[in-house]
Amino acid sequence: MSDHVDFLILGSGSTAFAAAIRAADLGARVAMAERRTLGGTCANRGCLPSKNLIEAARIVREAAHPRYDGLIAGTVGVEFAALIAQKDDVVREYRAKKYASVADGLADLELLEGDATFVDPHTVRVGDRMVTGDRILVATGSRPTIPAIPGLADIPYLTSDLLDADEAGRLTELPASLAVLGGGYIAVELAQMFSRLGSRVTIVARSGLLSGYEPDLGRTLAEVFTDEGIEVLAGSRVDHVRGDASGVEVAIEQAGARRVVSAERLLVATGRTPNTDTLGLERAGVAVDADGFVTVNAQLRTSLPHVWAAGDVIGRQHRSQTATPVGARQGRIVADNAFADAGKAFDGTVIPRAIFTDPPIAVVGETEAEVRARHYPAVAATTPLMYVPRAGAVHKPTGLVKFIVSTVDERVLGVHVIGESAPEIIHEAAMAMHFKAGLPDFIDLIHVYPTMSEALKIGAQAFSRDVTKLSCCAE
Amino acid sequence: MTEPIVYIDLGVGGMTCDDCVVHVTEALESVPGVESAAVDLATRSAVVTARPDVGASALAAAVRATGQYNAFERRRRAASGE
Repeated sequence: MSDHVDFLILGSGSTAFAAAIRAADLGARVAMAERRTLGGTCANRGCLPSKNLIEAARIVREAAHPRYDGLIAGTVGVEFAALIAQKDDVVREYRAKKYASVADGLADLELLEGDATFVDPHTVRVGDRMVTGDRILVATGSRPTIPAIPGLADIPYLTSDLLDADEAGRLTELPASLAVLGGGYIAVELAQMFSRLGSRVTIVARSGLLSGYEPDLGRTLAEVFTDEGIEVLAGSRVDHVRGDASGVEVAIEQAGARRVVSAERLLVATGRTPNTDTLGLERAGVAVDADGFVTVNAQLRTSLPHVWAAGDVIGRQHRSQTATPVGARQGRIVADNAFADAGKAFDGTVIPRAIFTDPPIAVVGETEAEVRARHYPAVAATTPLMYVPRAGAVHKPTGLVKFIVSTVDERVLGVHVIGESAPEIIHEAAMAMHFKAGLPDFIDLIHVYPTMSEALKIGAQAFSRDVTKLSCCAE
Repeated sequence: MTEPIVYIDLGVGGMTCDDCVVHVTEALESVPGVESAAVDLATRSAVVTARPDVGASALAAAVRATGQYNAFERRRRAASGE
């Protein structure tokens, strides 16, 4: 190919692919630069492999704890290496289908391998090639944050990269014990997964689990984790770590007391850092914020008019979130703006999000604290899922649904669920918010009985009725 | 003395057949000031010969107004400069 393209995309994840496909539709010649494995975090070392293994871990757990009187607990053994091998197959097949073959199918797309570095505003060195782009998209994603903890640089540790199928950081042996640093969504998903597969897991979290989310969610999850035998050390400050390939020690201070957590392996899951530090953005004149996120306007344009940024690299600007489908949407918007002058703005008001623990968590819109912080008049109501008929029928009563509703017009501002099927039912709430529905819309809609989605109909009624006294079908 | 002209190179999206080429060509040549448009299916591009006061945005808008195709400016070249 020529070393000049209409659209040069840095990164090859969901954001990059959505942008490339749309730009190609619009007539652009596209090149995509990737320094790691095609497909980015989600497909290779994020959402996809973690969901594969989390489901396997659920099977192991449920066999040993069948929930129903009359079902006899059994044992599903874990052959970890084989389990990892099937996960790797799933990742490779998905990557081939959803990324590599899609790339092959685009007439004017070239994939470039290597580190990308801006040389000037229009020129990027990719490996040993110089490529110029009329328009450029920075969609290089994020990586696990490595906190500045004394001793960490000197010992072996895992990150969520352990999920990868083909890179050095992958994990192929189940640790007998695991210390997890962090209490965010990646930490809790992986902690429970390893615990259920047979590791003894200790979570060391600076605050509680899932800070930033509705407090009830992390609280409920911590209770479940404790019941399952996961030790949750909330409010912990890590003083230092030490160890070697045979084991690690995490020295912490919790509530004024010092203690040492020993484990075979250490998993660092303390957040995500944008992959912008090696791009030479300063040579191009592309502005980043103090944390390294690329600064963009609502149309996802950077400080340079011909350079755009989208996906994890923009952080939480314009109510964006670090999430695969958010990046994909933004990638498409960038292509429309760059090649069809669409003038589209990213709208992050309604972004459903899920955490695939058991019970799972799903949220959309604002938390009560966020609504209060902007002094908007609103009311909130929390309903335990024990009042949802299906939850009782299948012995999964743990959980709750919380609504935050405007007192000006009854519009729903946020819905937060922990409980069975939460990641599926959240879409009803998201669609309702998309169409600016009010609380009565959830109540008026006939729901299938008995489903977990009834939690939304019941949770909406909690503002006006005693939901402990509802008859069948929540009417 | 002849009127000065420019060449405007465009990328064109959405074309799948020779009919598409005809439609895009007609759209481009409907823009006042355009002398001719050479549209190529294989390279998904067009070269428009026009008076200097013709803007790429007008060309893109004419192509997009078809509802089926997209166009964007790649380069603008002075006819005498090549």
